[in-house]
Amino acid sequence: GACRVSISMTEIRAGFTAIKTNIQSRDPIRTLSILSHPHSLHKVKSSDRCCITYQLFTFYVDKVFKHCRTEDSFVNRKISSIANSFLSTRRKLGQCREQNNCLCGEESTEKFKQILANYEGLNVTSAAMKSLGELDILLDWMEKSR
Amino acid sequence: VLGGAALLPAPQSISILSTNMKHFLTWSPVIVQGATVRYSVEFQGEYEREYANGSWIPISECSLTTATVCNLTEDISATVAYKLRVRAELGATRSQWGTTKGFFNRAMTSLTPPLLRAVADGHHLLVELADMGPSFQFWVLYWRKGQESRVQQKVVKEVSSVVHLDTMEAGAEYCVKAQTHVEAINRSSSFSPTQCVRAQGDTS
Amino acid sequence: SGELYCSLPNPRNVRFESINMKNVLHWSAPEGTGVGVVYKVKYAVYGVGKWIRKPECRNINRTWCDLSSETSDYEEQYYASVKAFLNGTCSDWMETTRFNPLTDTKIDPPMVSVSSTDRSISIILTAPEKWKRSPEEESISLLQVYPGLQYNVSVLNKKTKKRWFFSISNNTLVVPWLEPGTTYCVSAQIHVTTPVLDSGFSKEHCITTLKDK
Repeated sequence: GACRVSISMTEIRAGFTAIKTNIQSRDPIRTLSILSHPHSLHKVKSSDRCCITYQLFTFYVDKVFKHCRTEDSFVNRKISSIANSFLSTRRKLGQCREQNNCLCGEESTEKFKQILANYEGLNVTSAAMKSLGELDILLDWMEKSR
Repeated sequence: VLGGAALLPAPQSISILSTNMKHFLTWSPVIVQGATVRYSVEFQGEYEREYANGSWIPISECSLTTATVCNLTEDISATVAYKLRVRAELGATRSQWGTTKGFFNRAMTSLTPPLLRAVADGHHLLVELADMGPSFQFWVLYWRKGQESRVQQKVVKEVSSVVHLDTMEAGAEYCVKAQTHVEAINRSSSFSPTQCVRAQGDTS
Repeated sequence: SGELYCSLPNPRNVRFESINMKNVLHWSAPEGTGVGVVYKVKYAVYGVGKWIRKPECRNINRTWCDLSSETSDYEEQYYASVKAFLNGTCSDWMETTRFNPLTDTKIDPPMVSVSSTDRSISIILTAPEKWKRSPEEESISLLQVYPGLQYNVSVLNKKTKKRWFFSISNNTLVVPWLEPGTTYCVSAQIHVTTPVLDSGFSKEHCITTLKDK
């Protein structure tokens, strides 16, 4: 069955937009991406979307946000807002998973492995900051595939 | 004035006032004769508790403030459980933190009915709604008086002065009421009082 | 290429200016440099390993370069960079911030066409098209790019000076039961909820309903 979850995209998007330039300026590496290369999220099959979304929200909650603390109080507050929104959204996605509506196919498992490999290829702070700077790649993909 | 190591008492009566998705922390002032006590506020979301070693995040607008109220709206921007704390500061002396009892979740905000004005302009039924911020939608119900079983609904997501609802039959009376809906917490207010207006012309 | 020692001041305010995904790189000349400065431009797809020179913008003296063709895939993000040359010396490469065509473009207002009968007006709205390389290329409406696209329509009764607002998802609106022989002025705006993108309102299209038969 489908996994219908209401996500406060507008709030997450607003939080990210407020710090996008600041966060992306902390990522000097132009030639690597965590989410979009070599495989693009836009190539994920619709049946795998729920699973990839759940895995990515877990990835951000477990691995990314905690390593993104900055010296800028405004940026830290926005990161907290996004992190807590991710946490409440992941909980809803988790409920979908429990009802078996969020199955992981081979493709999404492979795709997520690639993302983790990209992430582990950098030191943790660079990887976390790069991942945070790529949040709009995730949001664009989620909105397009709604 | 406080001498040397004398302790500054922590703020008391700490509470959160939350109406229509606007959230404020308030507390009682700490009185020290002849001195201006300042306060600093910090918040902690569920994420900070569960994944960031219980860290606290300062709210710069409420750091070293003399006010005894702090606007939390920009920071309480996820539907999870938050904790808030505030301490008093006088020069280098700082009180213990006073922390909210229990948690605050914005889903607990109280929602008031929208301010609404129904307008008849010729054969057209319109409604004026007071803007309540980006979190709010308006669920507007309208019907022809006497035909209460045939209620129609319009969802107004963006308030821009006069919103067109529908056309009315000549001379007929139409009634309107509305409630707010906040998608982020999936809750609605109670309905506004009903207002009725009459279309131009003679009833057929 | 063996670059010279670069002591020239840098180009300033290097940024993309984008309307309907026509993505043009703009910059300001280096401080204090007069005539004779020329520029080179390169761009990179974020996450892909190399910078690519733009031949049509090599040794140009203007301060813009159209990179629409190179940045037309809006599922990618991009950087661009400019370097200045004058009298045998040069500046550093100066980069844009990361450019996301989907969220960083501006949208033109919709086209509005209005017709009327004696007691109603019909409004047809057309969303602008995404930039395309040539007229022969297949047109893509911004409606396809932004599925959540809506129209806000304003209808002003010139006699009573009353303005009404409509918010619609499809592109046609009929407003019946109007006053005969009355002028109504219509303008419309595009509204995308997420990412938040609003066009301006179109210029007003006024039409007078026919006089009562």
